[in-house]
Order: sequence, then structure tokens, then C-alpha cells
Amino acid sequence: MRIFETADYNIIQNRKIAYVISGILIALSIGVIVTKGLQYGIDFRGGTEIVISFDQAPSVGDVRAQLTEPLGGVPEVKLFGNETDLLIRTDAPGNINNLQEIITNSVKELYPDYETTIIKTDVVGPRFAEDLKEGALYAIITSIIVIFIYILIRFRKWTFSAGAVAALLHDITITLGIFTLLSNLMPFNMTIDQNIIAAFLTIVGYSLNDTVVVFDRIRENSLIYKTMDREKMVNKSINNTLSRTVVTSGTTLFVVVVLFILGGEVLRGLSFALIIGVVIGTYSSIFVASSIATDLENALENKSA
Amino acid sequence: MKGNGTKLAFTIGFLAIALFYLQYSFRYWLEMNHIESLSGEAQEQYIDNNREKIEMLKSNTINLGLDLQGGMHVTLELQTESLLRGLAGESADTTFNNAVSRAKERYLQNDVDFIETFVEEFQSGNEQARLSRYFRNDADNITRRSTNEEIAAWLKGQRGEAVTRAMEIVRTRVDRYGVNEPSIVKQGENRIIAELAGISNEERVRNLLKGTARLEFHLGADPEELRDALERIIAYYDEEVSVEGDTTQTSRQNKLLEVFSPQGQSIVAGAAAGQDTAAVNNLIKIEAIQDLLPRGIELMWTASPSFTGNDGQEYYNLIGVREQVELTGDVIEEARPNFDQYTNAPEVSMSMNSEGARRWARITGSNINKPIAIVLDGYVYTYPNVITKINDGRSSITGLESLQEAEDLVNILLSGALPAPLEIVEERTVGPTLGEASISSGLNSVSFGLGIVAIFMIFYYQKSGAIADIALLMNIVFIFGVLAAFKATLTLPGLAGIVLTIGMAVDANVLIFDRIREELVAGKSQLAAIESGFSNALSAILDANITTFLTGAILYSFGVGPIKGFAVTLMAGIVCSLFSALVITRLVVDYSTRERGSKLSIG
Repeated sequence: MRIFETADYNIIQNRKIAYVISGILIALSIGVIVTKGLQYGIDFRGGTEIVISFDQAPSVGDVRAQLTEPLGGVPEVKLFGNETDLLIRTDAPGNINNLQEIITNSVKELYPDYETTIIKTDVVGPRFAEDLKEGALYAIITSIIVIFIYILIRFRKWTFSAGAVAALLHDITITLGIFTLLSNLMPFNMTIDQNIIAAFLTIVGYSLNDTVVVFDRIRENSLIYKTMDREKMVNKSINNTLSRTVVTSGTTLFVVVVLFILGGEVLRGLSFALIIGVVIGTYSSIFVASSIATDLENALENKSA
Repeated sequence: MKGNGTKLAFTIGFLAIALFYLQYSFRYWLEMNHIESLSGEAQEQYIDNNREKIEMLKSNTINLGLDLQGGMHVTLELQTESLLRGLAGESADTTFNNAVSRAKERYLQNDVDFIETFVEEFQSGNEQARLSRYFRNDADNITRRSTNEEIAAWLKGQRGEAVTRAMEIVRTRVDRYGVNEPSIVKQGENRIIAELAGISNEERVRNLLKGTARLEFHLGADPEELRDALERIIAYYDEEVSVEGDTTQTSRQNKLLEVFSPQGQSIVAGAAAGQDTAAVNNLIKIEAIQDLLPRGIELMWTASPSFTGNDGQEYYNLIGVREQVELTGDVIEEARPNFDQYTNAPEVSMSMNSEGARRWARITGSNINKPIAIVLDGYVYTYPNVITKINDGRSSITGLESLQEAEDLVNILLSGALPAPLEIVEERTVGPTLGEASISSGLNSVSFGLGIVAIFMIFYYQKSGAIADIALLMNIVFIFGVLAAFKATLTLPGLAGIVLTIGMAVDANVLIFDRIREELVAGKSQLAAIESGFSNALSAILDANITTFLTGAILYSFGVGPIKGFAVTLMAGIVCSLFSALVITRLVVDYSTRERGSKLSIG
């Protein structure tokens, strides 16, 4: 089977359309992030999170109501993976042993006949959460700087670096936007925690992977078709690599979907972010990165001419 | 053909190494299955007979992260403010304490160094203020003339030493508790990370890790003075409020009495229900109230409930003791868990060294018929009346809830007092059931991901796809082999990294095959197409993989815990997939087209 073997789409020629689409998506994403705010998980927000496994399904609402008074505030209570596991998150201060005791006793009071076990506890202090947040931010910024420099060294054109980094920022913003938009609508935990940062960095690496393959072809074609118009040549390169881009994205998408379905509750958020990221990253490598690099090249030429 | 001999040698060599490292894990798994199949006694017998072998296999098997095998990951932070207060000792005054409190506030909110912030805060009001007023150390040449910079540097050194000492103590406590292969490492300036597998009682471990074990013997407050002070404190909160709807009548209200029942017997100031002690603290730990207390007297709660009230709640007594510490836990030479011979309640009996025994005799001798409070980490455990002078340096801590608590206390007492309290700033605990579920969902994802990608490759590239699948399979063996060989830890995000690698590993093959197809379309002969397919795809493959590898490396350096595992498998996956695509695929392609002369089937 072959797909896109003789692809000859006018991608670069129609880049304005891609710009408009991306522009709208980015504007919407920023809008969502600003209005709704980033939905931080325990890693970046701090607090105590306990997952209790019951032997029969409890009521989320009842548990929440039962815990509100002893914890001195409404805790976050939601299902964790299946109907019998509950995730309880609270900002209540105090030491973990006391909190754990308060929670288990209250739950016992509500459901005296149920068997319960605590299967997971996460506690993150406020300063520690601050440190993790900072680390995550540095990781993303560092990776973008390193990538800019690497592409500059390999392709000797800052326009390529700029195109690639613009595409990455595009991917991160839109993924974050979609993630924020859906965070309360999905039946699984979709808050931004360390796993999601790992997903973002993977998306950065992945999207870049696609972009670099196209750039590589542009470099090669620019030596073969020296007289060809730049836009045509770049367009040809994108079309040349289109089948590979789509196949690789396809196999990657397969596995992240498998991970989403089979990977368990802990990895649900991470694999969901990867699914969005792979789709957006593929789109940006085809429609955004080279387009921006081309426009920057054109602008440079006009200036020097 | 030339060159392929080397490729073949490398492939076989790497495969052999990978399999060599993996066989330990496989044999360990077999042993475990075998042990599980045996019944009680035979099981123990078998383990005893084969201990050495099992230990050897275990130490070479792939490390599972705590999120997969279940366990506790705890980050402890040395409370620098207590260290500073401790070092300053009695010379600490309001200026000093205020600077410490402000530094603490800023430290909690920003990424700043505690000691630097403290010095800044200390100087903020008065540039000329000198820290040498508070700190003295002859051995380190910290004198009245030391500059603030010198003292700041010395304080940092003291903090470093304190963290190192705290690590040793934590290690001793964990060892005594009996944790299998704990990992205890320092993180940053003032943090310690403890990774403890297979914990069954988290609550105990938390107390064990945090317990400063600052054992102190205090004299009790003068009962009359205490009673007077108590009256003044209650009066402070007395207020008259007008009764609602009737402005002529007033009723008395007292915020303190709502949560606190005063007693004023002996050194017991009063009692409060367990859930109210925090509220009482908020009311009495303010400066205006502290000023109402007799000089040199402080209030402390009992460690365990003193009685059960009519409302069925457990009440804790608030005890008035003298601030001055008569004797500390340093003099304890021996401690063991015990049962009280009359009440059969658990207790810790301690004996002191000769110096301690001498002082203990003096203290008890001059305080006959007066209470002495035995205080541990700020809580009063017992406050017995001294009956007679104790000459042999014996004392005991009673008021314990269980023998287990007595055992843990002994552990903490004997492993030494922490230089400053440790606080748990992060904890991740995963129960064994969730760990097992994570292993199976992770492995399922790996095998399904592998299957679906393998089928797709054959479907899309036919026989060449099958070749890529061989490379992919070997790739997985290599990744696990690398993890085993480097003793890396496999976490759940790590398994996710492997799944992701499967999807991305075929990329190099896709690049090569697509290129070969292109070259064939361009009219090249099969052999030439393969040759230029591989060589033309090389630069794209390298660039694409190096960039992904770089992000993996960055993730590794910034990530914590399980995320590091994700970065590790991602990086290992990239290196292995590069090798399998460039070497193994090439080898098989060359073999089938040249040696056997068959036509390359590439779909």
C-alpha cells in the first residue's frame, strides 16, 4: 500500500489558510487559558491527594458532603478509573497522618460495612509545588533554546530555527488550550501535573522530529533544484516527505491511543495530551514550520535586495 | 559481503549482552513463581536453601520503581528556622525571631535560600545590625568580630552538616524498622529523599522519619501562679455582647471557653477535645497571651488523650511547665520497650549515663512531691510526681498507645536526635495493588502497541515491513537489556516511554523504505535504490532522533521520580531504535536481496 506517493498539494502556496486556522486556534487557546486559568494538579498546586479503593461503589456526592465539615472545606472528590475507586483532594493543612485518619474515619462513618484501602497517597507541600512548577517551566524553556541552537548549527539558517520553534510554541499553546478546555468535561483526571509536562516535552521532541525531516529534505532539494523558485522547492519537499510524515504519525497515534485505553488511570492524562499533541504536531510540521521559515527567508531576501 | 560481517557481529554481540542481562530478571521471575507455588513450610525451607541465589538474581533483576512495586517516596526538608534558633540559643531576641519568621514566609513563597533571606531580613531595618550577637563558635572561629558574611557562610556550613547528620539518622531509623534496600539521598541544600519499598504501615514510617526525638525533662509550673495566669487569660477573651433583638440585655461570651475547659489543678491548666487543640493554640499562642503567663513558663499538650469526656470525645490536657530544660535525651544510654509491671501499659524504660544519673539524682532529690514533665518533641508524655530521689539514672516514658509506639520511640531515641526537625514536603505512596495493576496495564500497552504497529508495517510495506518488525522486536529486547545492564529503574511513565518508542522507532524504517521506494520510482536499480535509500535517509534519521534525544535529556535533568524513568526509556529507546534501523534492518535487507537475490518486497 502507498499513500501520498505522488502527492503534489499546494501547501506552501496556500499557507495563508494555515496561518488563519492556526491563528484562530492559538487565539482561542489563549482565550480559554486566560478565562479558565490553567488547571494545575497536585504537583503544581500542593495539597493532599488520597485514592481510596472500596469493595462496592460509593457515592461521590455523599463522600464529598461527609468530608466537607471535618476537613474544613469542600474537598475535590472524583472517581479514579473505575466506580469503586475514589480520588480525594484537599488543601486542608495539618499533618498527613491526621488528614488520612480524618478521611478514613469519616468514610467509615458513612459506609460502616464497606471494606476500604488507601491505594495511593500524594502529598506536595506549597514550597515544593513552587519548585516543581519552576522546574517544569525551566525544562520547557531550556528545551526550546536547545532546539533553536541545534537547528541553527545543523541547518545554518536562523529562519529554520525560528520556523521550528514557532511551530513548537504553536503546538504547546494549542495542546494546552484544548487540555484546559476539556479538563472538567472528561471523566478522568486532566489537571496539569508532572506527567503532563513530560507529555509536552515529548510533543516538543516529536513535532520537531517531523519538522526536521522536512527541513532535511528542503536542504537536500535546495542543492538539487538550484534554480527552482523557493516556494515551489519547499512545497516539493513537504510533498516528498508527506507519506513518511503521515505514516509515522499514524503509528505513533496508534500506540498513544493504545496507551490511553490500556495504560490505566495514572497515565490517562499523559496519553490524552500525547494524542492531542501528535495530531497538532503533525499538522504544524506540514503546514506551519516550513511556511514560517519560507516567509522569513523571503523577508530577508527582500530586505537585502 | 564487506561491512556486513561487522554489522552481524555487532548485532549478535549486543543481542547476547542484552539477553545476558535479561536472563537474571527472567530467572528471578521463575524463582518467584516457584516460591509462590510452594506451601508455607516448604516455602521457607526453599528460601533458606537458596537464599544466596535468590539474592543474586534479585540484585541483577530490572529495578521496578515505587509506583510499580508499591512503596513510599518521601522528601524531607530540614527546618532551617529551628536550626537557626537552636544555634542562637538563649541569645535569640525579638529582632532575631522576627527576621526568622519573615524569612520563613518569603522562603515558602519564592525560590530563595533560607539563610540568605534571613540575613537580608535581619539587615533590612538596620544595615549595621550584627549577627555576631547571636552566634558563637570557638572551633570555627566565629567570634564577636565575625562579619555577617562570615556568619552566613558558617550557617550554610552548619546546615550542610545538619542535613548530612539527619540523613545518617534517617538511614539508621529506616534500617532498624526493616525496610528492604532503602535509598536515602540528599537533594539540593536542605532536602532528603527517602525511597522505601514495601511499606505496610505508612503512618508509623512518617512518624519515624520526622521524629526529632528531642527528649527533655522539665520541672512543672507553680500551680498557684498557673491558676492566676489562667484566670487572666480567660478574662482576656471575656466579652459582653448585646443579646440579639434586645439592646438592654447583654450576655457573656468567651471564645476560649468554647473550646477549652480550664482546670487549674496541679500543673494541668485545662483540657480540650482533640479536634479543638488547634483552635486553642491559635488563641493562646499570640503574644498578648504569652505575656500573661508567669515568666519562664510555657504550655504544652499531652501526647495522648488524658480522658474521655461526657460527649464521647477524647480530651488532651494542657500542661504548664518551666521553659528551662533540666536534662536532655543526650544522657540516655539505653532504652527498651517494656510493660508497666502494675498496669501492663506499654512504656519505654531508659537508663542514663553516669553524668546524667548524677544530675537526675540532684533534680529528683530537690523536687520531691513535685511533678516533672517528660517531654518529647514538644509533647508531654508523663508528668509524674517525684516520690523519692532517683540515684540509678532510671526513668521511663509512659502514656504510650501501643507496644509498637514504644518500639518506634526506642528506635528514634537510640538513633540519635535530629539536629533540627524534618518536615515531609512531598510524599508519594502507592499501594501494592495499584502497583500490580500498573504493571499489567503497562505491559498490556507495550504488547498491544507492538502488535498493532507490527501488523501495520507488514500491511504497508509487506516483506520489508516484516524486516522492520524484526528490528522493532530486537529493539524492545535492547531497551529492556539496557535498563537491566545500567540498573535503571523502570517506572509506569517509563513503560509509557517504551510504548511511545515503539510508535516512533519504526520512523527510521519508514524514512528508509519511503526513500527506497522513491529511488525505485526514479528508475534506479534495486541495489542502487537500497544503497541510496539508506544513505539519503541517514541525515534525516540522525537529526530527527538527536533532537528528540535532547528533549529527553532535558526532561531527565529537570524531572523528578517516575518522570525521570520516562526520560530514561525514551532516550534508551531512541539509541536502540537507531541501531536496529540502521544496522539490523540493513543487514536483513542486504541479506535477502544480495545473498539470496530475491526481489525486495516493499509494498
